Amino acid sequence: MTVSLRDGAKLLGIAVMSGCAVFVCTFFLNFYLDARAVRGLVEESVLPLYEAQILTAKLVCAISGGCLLLVSVVLLAFYVKLYIDSHAKQIGILKALGYDGGKIALGFWVFGLSVLIGTAVGHGCGYAISPMIYRKMGGEGLPEIPLTFHGELLVFLVLLPTVAFAALAVGLAYRRLRAPALSLMREKEAAAGGGKPPRRELPFPLELRATTLKSKKSLVFFVGFACFCFSSMLQMSASMGDVASETMGAIIFGIGIVLAATSLILAFTSLVTANARAVAVMRAHGYTLMQCGGTVLGGYRIPAYIGFALGTAYQYGLLKLMLGVVFRGVEGVPAYSFDWPVFGIVLAAFAVLFELALLWFTREMGKTSVRKLCAE
Amino acid sequence: MIVAENVCKSYQNGRTPVLKGISLEIGDGELAVLLGASGSGKSTLLSVLSGLERADGGRVNVNGEELTEMTEKQLTDFRKRTVGFVFQQYFLLPHLTVEGNVKLGAHLAGNRDYGREIAAVGLEEKRNRKPAELSGGEQQRVSIARALAKNPKLLFLDEPTGALDEETGRSVLDYLLKLQKERRFTAVMVTHNPGIAELADRVIRMNSGKISETYRNAVKKTAYEIAW
Repeated sequence: MTVSLRDGAKLLGIAVMSGCAVFVCTFFLNFYLDARAVRGLVEESVLPLYEAQILTAKLVCAISGGCLLLVSVVLLAFYVKLYIDSHAKQIGILKALGYDGGKIALGFWVFGLSVLIGTAVGHGCGYAISPMIYRKMGGEGLPEIPLTFHGELLVFLVLLPTVAFAALAVGLAYRRLRAPALSLMREKEAAAGGGKPPRRELPFPLELRATTLKSKKSLVFFVGFACFCFSSMLQMSASMGDVASETMGAIIFGIGIVLAATSLILAFTSLVTANARAVAVMRAHGYTLMQCGGTVLGGYRIPAYIGFALGTAYQYGLLKLMLGVVFRGVEGVPAYSFDWPVFGIVLAAFAVLFELALLWFTREMGKTSVRKLCAE
Repeated sequence: MIVAENVCKSYQNGRTPVLKGISLEIGDGELAVLLGASGSGKSTLLSVLSGLERADGGRVNVNGEELTEMTEKQLTDFRKRTVGFVFQQYFLLPHLTVEGNVKLGAHLAGNRDYGREIAAVGLEEKRNRKPAELSGGEQQRVSIARALAKNPKLLFLDEPTGALDEETGRSVLDYLLKLQKERRFTAVMVTHNPGIAELADRVIRMNSGKISETYRNAVKKTAYEIAW
């Protein structure tokens, strides 16, 4: 199998991401489906309250669950791609030895397994927490909403994502495996075309930083997107207190933190894997660990902050749009405006966490020595 | 001058001893060859002498500096000031051009004249190429230029021709010997090829983590005279 249990931590990250997204979707979609079924029992006097609860469920589910799911899909797809790229050499060796490309690609189904574990746990937890959500969502005069198991949710939130991700991973691996064994065994960046003389002379650390970023465009996107998620999820969940109850806000905030942290950790572990070799070589020649970190990882600050800014704009635009669409014509819904205090707090937390992560992962990169590389 | 006394090194918490009380001396400007079969401990000894790894016991003194008493930071500084490396697998950074890779070494020494090193290994025409566009021999020459761009007092080479064919290997060694003669740095080279040992001033033969023989070559051969 090409994806081994040694990759467990990364697979766990994928499980956590998919689990969080499915967790939110499960209880809100379940509530939405069950509440819709009792519409005929709702008295005229409490109909506005009932409609408001349905709208809240729809809104929170669409914004949180839907966005989380979408974000997870994009992140996971990129993660699988990066994983395959970083294992291209290993795959190339297997292929050169005569292993069938299709069979090697099938080994990547394990990504689907980790999605299955994550979504199953998320779905189970979502279902388990549903009675509490139903109590919170219920109100005076509203008929009791019975908790019903919806098989279609199991299919759409657990089985389909599992199959889709297994197929995606196998498909991406298979596509990559169509390349000749020799080109797989060579470094991916090395295969890139010949270098042109630089347009202007940069100080060497800046030149190294720029070429590192240029050679790892997928990683640049991955880091930017992880920061986009961090920014949008935390600000969105913190701002949702206006339209959802405190408990709901707390749940979504908690999930936002877990998901944002997971996406950042996935991005940073990918950075470490992709740059460990360069750092080991630099250290052997006498560059300090901090110089290596500053040169190799420091360049990712720019895409990180761009990702953060885009995430801020995205969550603001989406909340504004969704509130406008879902609560159109509903009275008593507060007007939504940009939450500056939340923005300030999230930005400060991001800046601190990002610098701490840079330090921590710089140290992690320092653990790969040239001797280890020689042994590989 | 490199002086090692009773150097010991083991892995897996002492369960796998690799160096068992190594003592040696290598004079300034010498080319010393560590010769031995695979698993004899020669690459580990090279790592310990160059400050890439720490010895578990004994002492290593390089030009009056006691490596065994240095902190990790001091060892990094020592490597920066004193040492150049050439590895069997080259370890060039694939996204940098020939020039960029040589600059990686030159930057540490504040050497702005790195073009000289590229010219010295005969790659002026290919200074803007990436490693993937070079042959194995050319890549190894880039790696030598990168090491020399630091103006090192000591050059450590771990099987520099191990991945090269005979013709390319001879040409790389020829370059190396020429540069060593010109610049008078001390070079320590690991090899399993007894022919390459005939190039050296001093040969240190290793077997199972110990030095089994040390001798000086009365006559040094050229890269094109040795057996391959």
